[in-house]
Order: sequence, then structure tokens, then C-alpha cells
Amino acid sequence: MGRQTPLTEALFYILLSVRKPNHGYGIIQDVEELTGGRVVLGPGTLYGAIQTMTARGWIRIYSEETESRKKKEYIITDLGREIFAEEKRRLEELLQNAAKMEEGTW
Amino acid sequence: MVKFKLMLNKDKETEYLNEMAAQGYAMTGFFAGFYTFDRCRPGEYVYQVDITEGMFRVNNDYREFMWEMGVEIVCIWGMWVILRKKAAEGPFVLYTDVESTIEHYEKIKKMFKIATILELSLIVVELVGAATMENKADIGMPLGFACLLAAFVVAFIREISRVEGILRELRERTGAESPGKERKGKGLPSGFLSLGLILNGIGCLIPRAEEGGWLSILQGPAKWMLHGLALVLVIAGLVFTMRQHGE
Repeated sequence: MGRQTPLTEALFYILLSVRKPNHGYGIIQDVEELTGGRVVLGPGTLYGAIQTMTARGWIRIYSEETESRKKKEYIITDLGREIFAEEKRRLEELLQNAAKMEEGTW
Repeated sequence: MVKFKLMLNKDKETEYLNEMAAQGYAMTGFFAGFYTFDRCRPGEYVYQVDITEGMFRVNNDYREFMWEMGVEIVCIWGMWVILRKKAAEGPFVLYTDVESTIEHYEKIKKMFKIATILELSLIVVELVGAATMENKADIGMPLGFACLLAAFVVAFIREISRVEGILRELRERTGAESPGKERKGKGLPSGFLSLGLILNGIGCLIPRAEEGGWLSILQGPAKWMLHGLALVLVIAGLVFTMRQHGE
């Protein structure tokens, strides 16, 4: 598996958005909402991220509506959750240490 | 409306397509430098240029994904994909973070590198062809093609160098590269070099007119003027290139 963290902001928020089944457009909307409009994923960025994470086994296709040929849904895998947890630990460490700035001491 | 334009720089191309769309001309097709435009409401579409892995095709995943996003694949040429979206449906930017933009330009750089190697090997083929030719009177043909191919190589190298500059800037932003590191690829081969090679190639390719005809009287000087001009341009190109390297 190797060191895959730190995650890019895009990967982090996409993983968060597929904790429940979600399709491409839904992911973009969720990420935009979660970040208060700060992170708006472009289709090229999202497509590349989905391809990468599917190849790495972090997410998988949940359902595919073949009739309307629309809305391929993705969901996070167990491996994806592990990666996310690892990233969360790293971020918590950052935050804990960041608090020291206010204390002014080591 | 059809317009002819040769562009290697995808950022300039995007700019051009969006300018045209703003004026009410929506690009609908491309073939070997010929852009086809249809009328549209001014500013109806936003265009973007992407690069994919396939040649003259995109995989189904990509097609479906873009369709879901409300993005239309206008045409595919080589590894380039021209996309557009209705401006009314919101902003349209393909790559929105540094990491994916780096990946995008890496792909472009790789494509131009492969193209350069291909062209160089074709030049070798043409030159070998010229050297082994029995009737030396026809030598102009392969030499002319070799010159035209060389012009492309110069243009490709310029583009690779531009893309490398963009990549360096992006990497500095992520902290992956410290600013002010040695500036590799600063000395671009000059555009004059390309132009000179093209003229020289055309000069070589001009077919021989029949002896004694009035065309043959005109042809000689015209051909030599072309070669002369080409020589001046190539020399100017070389001087400019060297100067840049020296700085």
C-alpha cells in the first residue's frame, strides 16, 4: 500500500462524500456544501480522483443505472476507511500541536 | 464558418475557442488545423481542452462521466478532447486544484515528448531515404519532408519547455520544488528556426518544372529566394537561441 497520506484536499473530501452511496454530481455538491463553497471540484479533477481511488481500491462502484444510463454511484471501501482514519489521526496530531501556538510554550 | 489555425498551446486554444464563443461562434468540429464553427448566442458555451490516454477516442467511463456533469464532448483529435458546457449551467473549469493540474500538464508533456521522438525517427527515415536514393534529382522530396518534420520538432520542444515552466511554478506552490532552483529549459529554440525550416522544406518540395517552359525560368530564382530567406531565418533562429542560453 505504501504511504498514501497526507491526502490531497480533494481526495479527503471525496472520501467523506462517499461514506454513503453518491454519484459524481452529488459529490461535487456535498464537497461544496461541506466547505462552505471554498472547494468546488472541477470535472477533470473529480474524474481523475475517482479513477485513482477506484484503482487503489479505496472506493468502488455501488450501483449503475443502466436504463437511464445515468448516475453511477460510488461508495467507500474498508480500505478507503482505513486510509481516511490514518489521515484523521495525522490531522488530529496537527491540531493538537497547533494548540501549542496559543499556549506559547513547548 | 471554417477557420484554419495551428495551435500546440492548449491554453491559447482554450482562450481562442472561448473568445469565438463570446462572439457567437461555437466550435463544432476540428480536422487537421481546420476549426468548424456554428452560430450560437454570444457567450452561450464555455470551452475547455482536455487530454486523455486514448488516441482519437475516449473510454466509456470518461464519456459517461462528462455526460453526467452536463459537459458535451465536442470532438476528439489525437489525444486532445474539446469539451463545452452551457455557460448558464455555471462555471466550467476542468482542474481545480494544484495536484490535478500538475497531473494534467504531466500528461501533456509526456505526449509532446513521445511526438518529438516519433518525428525525430521519421526525420532519420527521410534522411536515409535521401542518402540511398538512386536518382539524385529527386532528392528534394525527402529533404523537404525532413525539413518540415524538423520544424515540428522545434515547435514541440518549445511547447515542452513552456509546459515545464508551468509545472515548475505549480510545484513551487505545493512546496515540492524550491523557488529559484536552476532554470532548466530556459533557452527556448527560437520560433524563427521553425519558420526557416518550413520555408526550406517548401523550397525542396517544389516540383521541377519542364525544361524550357516559362515556368522553369521563373522557378529557379523563386526557389533560391525561398532557400535564401530560409537560411537567414534559420541563422537568426540559431543566434537568438544561443543568446538566450548565454544569458
